[in-house]
Amino acid sequence: MVVLLISLILLCPLAAFAIFGLLGLAKRSFPRQDYLSTAAMLIALVCSLLLLQEVVPDPEPHTVQWLSLGSVTFSMGFYLDSVTAIMLIVVTLVSSLVHIFSMGYMHGDPRYPRFFAFLSLFSFSMLFLVVSDNLLGIYIGWELVGLCSYLLIGFWFEKDSAADACKKAFLTTRVGDVGMFIGMMMLFTKFDTLSLYGEGGIFAQAAVQLNTGDMIWLSIAGVLIFCGAVGKSAQVPLHTWLPDAMEGPTPVSALIHAATMVAAGVYLTARMFPILTETSSLVIAYIGGITAIIAATIAIVRFDIKRVLAYSTVSQLGYMMLGIGVGSYVAGLFHLTTHAFFKALLFLGSGSVIHAFHAMHGHGHDDEHDAHGHDHDEDHGSEHVLGSEIPPDQDMRNMGGLRHKMPITFITMLIATLSISGVPFIFSGFWSKDAILAGVLGRAMEWNSVHHYLLFGMALFAAGITAFYMFRLIFMTFFGEPRNQEMHDMAHESPKSMTVPLLVLAVLSFPVVNTLWFNADYVKPPEQPHLHAPAHAHVSPDSKVGEAGLTFSLFGISEAVAAEEGADGTHGAHGDDAHHGHGPAHTIAMVLSIIVAGLGILLSWLFYHRRTLSAESVATTFRPLYTLFWHKYYFDEFYNGVLVAVTVWKSRLFAQFDGTIVDGIVNGVGTVTRDILAVFVGVFDNRIVDGLVNRVAEVTWSIGGRVRQIQTGAIQTYLFVVLAGIVLLILIFRAL
Amino acid sequence: MLLSLMIFIPLLGMIAVLLLPRESEELVKRVTLLFTLIPLALAVALFISYDRSAAGTQYVVNIPWIQAFNIQYHIGIDGLSVTLLLLTALLGPICVIASWRNIEKGIKAYMALFLLLETGMLGFFAALDLFLFYVFFELTLLPMYFLIGVWGGPRREYAAIKFFLYTLFGSVLMLVAMIAVYLNSGAPGARTFDIPTLITLAATEGHALNNLNFQIWAFLGFFIGFAVKVPIFPFHTWLPDAHVEAPTAISVILAGILLKMGTYGLVRVNMAMFPQGMDFFCNGTGTWGNSLALLGFINIVYGSFCALAQTDFKKLVAYSSIGHMGFVILGLAARNTEGITGAILQMFNHGVISGMLFLLVGVLYDRAHHREINGFGGLGAKMPVYTGITTLAFMASLGLPGLSGFVGEALSLLGAYDKFKMLTILSTIGIVVGAAYFLWTLQRVFLGTLNPKYEALPEINGREILTLAPLGILTIVLGIWPNFAIDMFRESVTNLVNVLQAI
Repeated sequence: MVVLLISLILLCPLAAFAIFGLLGLAKRSFPRQDYLSTAAMLIALVCSLLLLQEVVPDPEPHTVQWLSLGSVTFSMGFYLDSVTAIMLIVVTLVSSLVHIFSMGYMHGDPRYPRFFAFLSLFSFSMLFLVVSDNLLGIYIGWELVGLCSYLLIGFWFEKDSAADACKKAFLTTRVGDVGMFIGMMMLFTKFDTLSLYGEGGIFAQAAVQLNTGDMIWLSIAGVLIFCGAVGKSAQVPLHTWLPDAMEGPTPVSALIHAATMVAAGVYLTARMFPILTETSSLVIAYIGGITAIIAATIAIVRFDIKRVLAYSTVSQLGYMMLGIGVGSYVAGLFHLTTHAFFKALLFLGSGSVIHAFHAMHGHGHDDEHDAHGHDHDEDHGSEHVLGSEIPPDQDMRNMGGLRHKMPITFITMLIATLSISGVPFIFSGFWSKDAILAGVLGRAMEWNSVHHYLLFGMALFAAGITAFYMFRLIFMTFFGEPRNQEMHDMAHESPKSMTVPLLVLAVLSFPVVNTLWFNADYVKPPEQPHLHAPAHAHVSPDSKVGEAGLTFSLFGISEAVAAEEGADGTHGAHGDDAHHGHGPAHTIAMVLSIIVAGLGILLSWLFYHRRTLSAESVATTFRPLYTLFWHKYYFDEFYNGVLVAVTVWKSRLFAQFDGTIVDGIVNGVGTVTRDILAVFVGVFDNRIVDGLVNRVAEVTWSIGGRVRQIQTGAIQTYLFVVLAGIVLLILIFRAL
Repeated sequence: MLLSLMIFIPLLGMIAVLLLPRESEELVKRVTLLFTLIPLALAVALFISYDRSAAGTQYVVNIPWIQAFNIQYHIGIDGLSVTLLLLTALLGPICVIASWRNIEKGIKAYMALFLLLETGMLGFFAALDLFLFYVFFELTLLPMYFLIGVWGGPRREYAAIKFFLYTLFGSVLMLVAMIAVYLNSGAPGARTFDIPTLITLAATEGHALNNLNFQIWAFLGFFIGFAVKVPIFPFHTWLPDAHVEAPTAISVILAGILLKMGTYGLVRVNMAMFPQGMDFFCNGTGTWGNSLALLGFINIVYGSFCALAQTDFKKLVAYSSIGHMGFVILGLAARNTEGITGAILQMFNHGVISGMLFLLVGVLYDRAHHREINGFGGLGAKMPVYTGITTLAFMASLGLPGLSGFVGEALSLLGAYDKFKMLTILSTIGIVVGAAYFLWTLQRVFLGTLNPKYEALPEINGREILTLAPLGILTIVLGIWPNFAIDMFRESVTNLVNVLQAI
């Protein structure tokens, strides 16, 4: 049953794409590719829901042998645990909604069918990644989603900015992927397999090895695998592609660059959880923490509605990484799911806003192509920033007061904003973010570790900024007076195909799905040996974690988090003390997170709604800092100016070396040989050298570049010589 | 008999073509196509009937030929040869179809030479006698010389001569090594060119061929001969010139088959016959122990960087071939199951993928009459099907998982990592640069605004799709189910690994 359902989940979207591809060869296309792709996705969604019941504890992977080389075999297979099941639902659900949304949003696009075909291919690849039980399969899905991301970012490839962005996305993530591949080679060399689960899988073998020490290589391998996640999940320093990826159609941004593909890095890191050592975990946590802050601070000063959301995504992904890095496996994945829904909603909402402005031009998306290059950066006209040309329909400085025009878009986006900002209790984002914060603080208290206290500070800071810039977006877009009356007049609420997905996602931004995570028995964090290592035992003899504490039992969330903390904190079997509450870490984290979220929202309100405070004057006061944020910490300048330039320069150098030195030597040798042969031929009359040999000498003779036609007539002669030779050989063969 | 038939039917075809009147061009083409389709059918028959569970050679024919020197007409196939025979037989008709419209002069001579070339290639992959092996090796040289030199581009003379002399230089060294092997193979009268016999003798303790010093020198002689063909840095400069000047179909053969002759020779002769020599260059210790892997690494990185700098579409593909053949060398240097399997798979896949790439370049060249990458732009909007197929080929070539290029590359690296950690890690630079030049090309040719010069560029036609579709399908099938190919040579590889580890 499991295999059947998973196969259906994979095959439906794949078939939808294959039909498009095959018809494409015949230069045709299926007239209702949109229905086909959407139907495929809905079937996959139903199958995913059915799979929920099939989850069993400690499942065995379902594998087939894929490659067999004699002594070595590689298998492919499915692995279905609770995390897989939840991911499947997230992917199929968001994907289905994005499919439906796209029917409205992409309507009238000349390449409409292709868009849906690519969405199908993406969904297949993503689902394949999710269900794979081995690193090779994950890697295959991993690269395929990268391809789809490339194709979809560059969907409007006539725009130079889109063409640049898709190339950048592919290459940047590939740098990370190479790291991941090296990590895989290390693991393979050590364990002779790339399967993760089951007997003889990497985890089973590693569990034995980890007890025997010698973990440096495993730390390196873990960090290398994580490199892949750094690329895909846009973590610093490979994050720069994601904001540029906003060149793709907005539904793509919602599906790929907010909810699913970029979260695949987090998913991979979570999958590798059992072999993450203390060192690699700390690296992951720091990368996550730094990313959360860097991206959030950049988001504050952006005016492009989609880029704000893009940096927000980067920042939130950093959050999830941080959670996993500190050992809060459930919290990290929990945030992944809540984020998938509210961020997809925010993106689709922004798409709805962009779409509203589109109608003023009366036709499809052509204007979006033209829009590029219009300089609306009046405030910063003198400061050219790479990738900062904002299309007018995405520029928040053209918006304002839209809440009356687009009530559904407004309300749904507001719900998502409340959720991501961490407004307490009734929004899902609060619970997941709080779980991560509590996890970091809990680890810090338990281990008494400076690193983790620092990380907690970073996470808290980022949480505050998140609330600030998200409300800045809401205030600038939906409140106040319209800044561009002409555009405002044309704006309108989007059609049903677009608002219905928004409403569904809005419902999902309340803690409804959370029940999956709340049931402490449903998702169990895998063992991570260093969390129980005796090295840490002495620092927390009187650890408060595990003690009974304040319990918010709303929807049972605290139990899930407590289960995790309890399991980690008491160095023992998890589950036993799952229902005995938890320590003060959670309470402190919760109170602090509510405070910073409130502060962020308050400041945003003062700046952008009440206008008691002036953003401009603050920007002037903190000029250097503002410039740093505005220029996105100069990452792009560095990459383009140094890395790309050096690579291109090096390639030219190589090519020149090849053309002049290597080939020069070759030609030199040729010339010298020719001169020697000239003497040779001069001494022995070349007329006695006949036929073929003559040919060869002539050929040699002309190497210096003397152009002489090779006559076609000569070939006839030559061919008959060959024939004669063959006849002769046969005769010899007969004679001897 | 089946095998001999397959080898010599193109030769018969050549005679048939020569007998046809010069004016009946269509007939010449059709006859040529027929005589390339028959070997393909036979190759498919071989592919089906080949016993995949046996390690030794099959379909062996062994009859005395020149008895004075104990030379035999000894042919047979193992997993490696049957794979490459299939590739050769497949590319044959594809190249004939690709030459259908764009060979303007002397079509009769062209087709006759092409058929002769095919016999040479097929014979080479089946030969089990060193002398026969050498004869077939040389037999490919002259038709190739004329095909480039007569039907090539503006600098065809230079390119053809360079190709000819380069290969000749290599094969002379090979000939010397071959004679040395012959002379050392036994007492006068008992000397032999027979490859299986020589392999056994070389593995016999105390035999002259078993001597390490001898093995090293003989290895080197053959190696240089094959290195020119592969081509391995620094013997590669003939390749970009030859490719740029050669007509499309000949480029396909050049990249698809002729380069594989080099790596095939390395496996068949250098590795199997001189395992000690191989060990000397690949054991990972000493000055020489890393040399072969180092050459593989240089090929990968050097070829990729050179490709990145090219603005001629065809030259870019040519340099990318150098890079991709580097993975084969790296995999072979690893001398383990993963590495060798990866290398062989990469040979086959590279033949298919580079064939596609050259055909695609040809499609564009036939329309625009130039290959300057920067001279296009925005063709994606004008030629969606062509763009789609090109994207597929590029993705396969840059090693996208799910397509065939990935499996060979990954296995080669996986095998090599076990033996040469640092070199393998450094070689992965080639993976990134490979993606860079292909994507950059994709952008410059197909993305962005349409160059107004090419408003009227016609979409890829049915005949061109016909040449590309089989290769595209193979790329996808082998990407999803590589066992399809690996099944053929699994036992042969195991056998070879045993030979290599026996020393």
